[in-house]
Amino acid sequence: MPTLSQAFPASELWTLPGGLRLAFERRSGPGFAFDLRLPVGSAHDPVGQEGSSGVLEEWLFKGAAGRDARALQDAFDDLGVRRGGGVGPEATRMGVSGLLDDLGASLTLVADVLLRPNLPENELPVLTDLARQDLDSVQDSPTDLLALEARRVAFPRPAGSPLAGFAHPPSGTPKGLEALTADTLRAHLEAYGQAGAVLGLVGDLEPEVALGLVAGALGSLRPGRQPRAEASFQAGQRVHVPDEDAEQTHLSLTAPGISPTDPRWLAWQVALTALSGGSASRLFHAVREERGLAYAVSASPVLLGGQGFLTAYAGSTPARAPETLEVMLAELARLPQGLSADEFRRARSGLRASVVFGAESMRARAGALTRDVAVFGQVRPLAGLRASLDALTLEGVNDFLADYDPVSKMTVVTLGPSDV
Amino acid sequence: MSEVPVTPLIHVLPNGLTLLLEADPGAQTVAAGYFVNTGARDEVPSEMGASHFLEHLMFKGSERLSVSVLNERLDDLGGQSNAFTGEEATVYHAACLPDQTDELLDTLTELMRPALRESDLEAERGVILEEIAMYADQPGIRVIDELRADYWGTHPLGHLILGTTETVGALSRDALAANHRARYGAGRVTLALTGAFDSEAVLAWAGANLADWPAAAAPTAGPPPTPVHPAQVRVIADPDLSRVQVAAEAPGLGVTHPLREAAGVLADLIGGENGALYWALLDTGLADSADLAHLEYRDAGSFEGGFSCDPERAQEVLNTFRAVLRGADTLITDAAVRRAARKLAVSTLLRAETPQGRLFALGMDHMATGRAETTQELVDRYASITAADVREVLKLCPLERLTVVALGPLEKLE
Repeated sequence: MPTLSQAFPASELWTLPGGLRLAFERRSGPGFAFDLRLPVGSAHDPVGQEGSSGVLEEWLFKGAAGRDARALQDAFDDLGVRRGGGVGPEATRMGVSGLLDDLGASLTLVADVLLRPNLPENELPVLTDLARQDLDSVQDSPTDLLALEARRVAFPRPAGSPLAGFAHPPSGTPKGLEALTADTLRAHLEAYGQAGAVLGLVGDLEPEVALGLVAGALGSLRPGRQPRAEASFQAGQRVHVPDEDAEQTHLSLTAPGISPTDPRWLAWQVALTALSGGSASRLFHAVREERGLAYAVSASPVLLGGQGFLTAYAGSTPARAPETLEVMLAELARLPQGLSADEFRRARSGLRASVVFGAESMRARAGALTRDVAVFGQVRPLAGLRASLDALTLEGVNDFLADYDPVSKMTVVTLGPSDV
Repeated sequence: MSEVPVTPLIHVLPNGLTLLLEADPGAQTVAAGYFVNTGARDEVPSEMGASHFLEHLMFKGSERLSVSVLNERLDDLGGQSNAFTGEEATVYHAACLPDQTDELLDTLTELMRPALRESDLEAERGVILEEIAMYADQPGIRVIDELRADYWGTHPLGHLILGTTETVGALSRDALAANHRARYGAGRVTLALTGAFDSEAVLAWAGANLADWPAAAAPTAGPPPTPVHPAQVRVIADPDLSRVQVAAEAPGLGVTHPLREAAGVLADLIGGENGALYWALLDTGLADSADLAHLEYRDAGSFEGGFSCDPERAQEVLNTFRAVLRGADTLITDAAVRRAARKLAVSTLLRAETPQGRLFALGMDHMATGRAETTQELVDRYASITAADVREVLKLCPLERLTVVALGPLEKLE
């Protein structure tokens, strides 16, 4: 039986000869979890071929290594594993968790999908039509539509960029989907390789065994590319999208933040936690507890193109939405005045606890290992991370906040029956 | 999780409050939850939404703690607290690092002794009205609410958990306090803990701190609900939507039925990620979502599912959906059942990996069945399911007669 200990296990980071980085952490328990992140997402769709990454990911699972789509799915299910992942703006992820005995077979199946996909051309019309249906369904969801419009307004494609950028969802655009062919998608697949790819793995096995399993399955993955889409933030925009039928008016706020490699990163995290990290946080208290203006109100960090941004959301019925927006802006505007000692203490202890909670399940830990390597270039040791949090001071955070004024560059996009 | 089997400990206080403790010294955190055996089905129609309203008001502070102090204490635990209201259960839960277990118990228990201040009512009413408006913007949720109303008729299992703007608008402090008195008695409450804690210490704490929890009259068990279950397709035309949402319901098995897990396997064979509906509707591109699940209540159950698609395809997709359900017997092979059962078993095992994951499996199952099974026992239940079990479920629940609701830009569907 393991002893009660807060000591954090050590992790290993290797780079395979082809470039794939493997972050491994040994953990007792019957399971395993891995999270493979390939640095190609919808922002890297070629201009005019929006939807490439989203459709390609679906196509990859339509059979591999001699198995048709159904046999492939059955093979995963025979292992009883849970699959996760999908396509985001900057990466495509494939995650699997299951019982340790099935780790090798699970890695092989993912390798089959990436290295030996059948890519049946007769499936393409169905897949592009499903992406079209997904775009249609966005029209029926005010929050999805708002998120999409907010990206369009805040992060338009830089002129001349060959990459489609952040202004469209993984399902693409109607025009982009029409332009997709088997050849364009096969060409796009060439980017999905070891360059910039990270696999986080947690399980109870010897590190060398873990390395051997991953190298054996994915060591021959094609070189791939690591495209970079620039997030060109448009500050100070104010756009309202009319939606006559929406029950609520939905508010999206975007402002510059701090990048992960900046020394002020943790101070920013503390500030965001005080702003929106719990039921005593400023936004929750001012908007929901004190005034009852909204059920959903939150702020969170978003990373795009290596930069950090603050985004905030709330939904209120139309008559109350102007007050909700006013209160949110007021809360953001008083950030430069700093946190109280209590707020600082609570936010920091919340972040310290989240270090443990975030590492508790193998699946969460595998995802965190991958994210650490992709975002910070290394696995942040949990003990070190806690020490860095402990080293923060109220004065240090407030010195940072004195110069952090998100409202001055805030872009606000609203969607609902009437302008706010 | 620990390598040794952990057996949950059940202890009932003299007032009827149950303690359900599963200590795992190898865990890194502690999770705790008050599982209250009451929910929307215990409401009278004019007070629809009272259970959920109460759940919100519990977070507004006690006689001893103001709302601000309560919120600060919950955040001090690490911000892992929350609550949810269902048809038959209302659950308040939190988690923390082991050295904060005392504060966890104290704060969570204080939360369960709400002041229900008149002055807090109006702001929270506003929050709930916003929550109702938020879901009204989600057609996939609207269609399920409409379906359950058709399927259950006037039985409270067809209630809207959030209530309506009218019922929530009319709920008074007195009505909510009366609901609280009647439905939060010690006999309906279980405090469950999982993770790294000392069972003896918690038992001693409970003896000192929970003994004065007021008892209340035991709930009267009525006859099992009989769904109205009309074999009809009701169309709710909404020309402003671009897609059609269809939801369907048919009888299933209750939570205490011995074939309950086999019913879950049948639902997975038909409507899981690799189920027949996926291959008939998504793989062909006819619909962009399609599923079927088995819902369990204490004395009834149902199979509930649906799909979303282009308006002009709705009839074809519904016909295919019906055909898949009618042909469910062809899906029940030894290999397919083994595959689905293994997936459910592994998923049960992996969910139990963290104290928070284990808390819900343990607490919800105990409240529904009175059992407190180890994770291994739960896993074994799935591992032992046979094709004959699943066939028996289909015999009991033939899935031929469906209550259907369609929402979207269409006039007619049959």
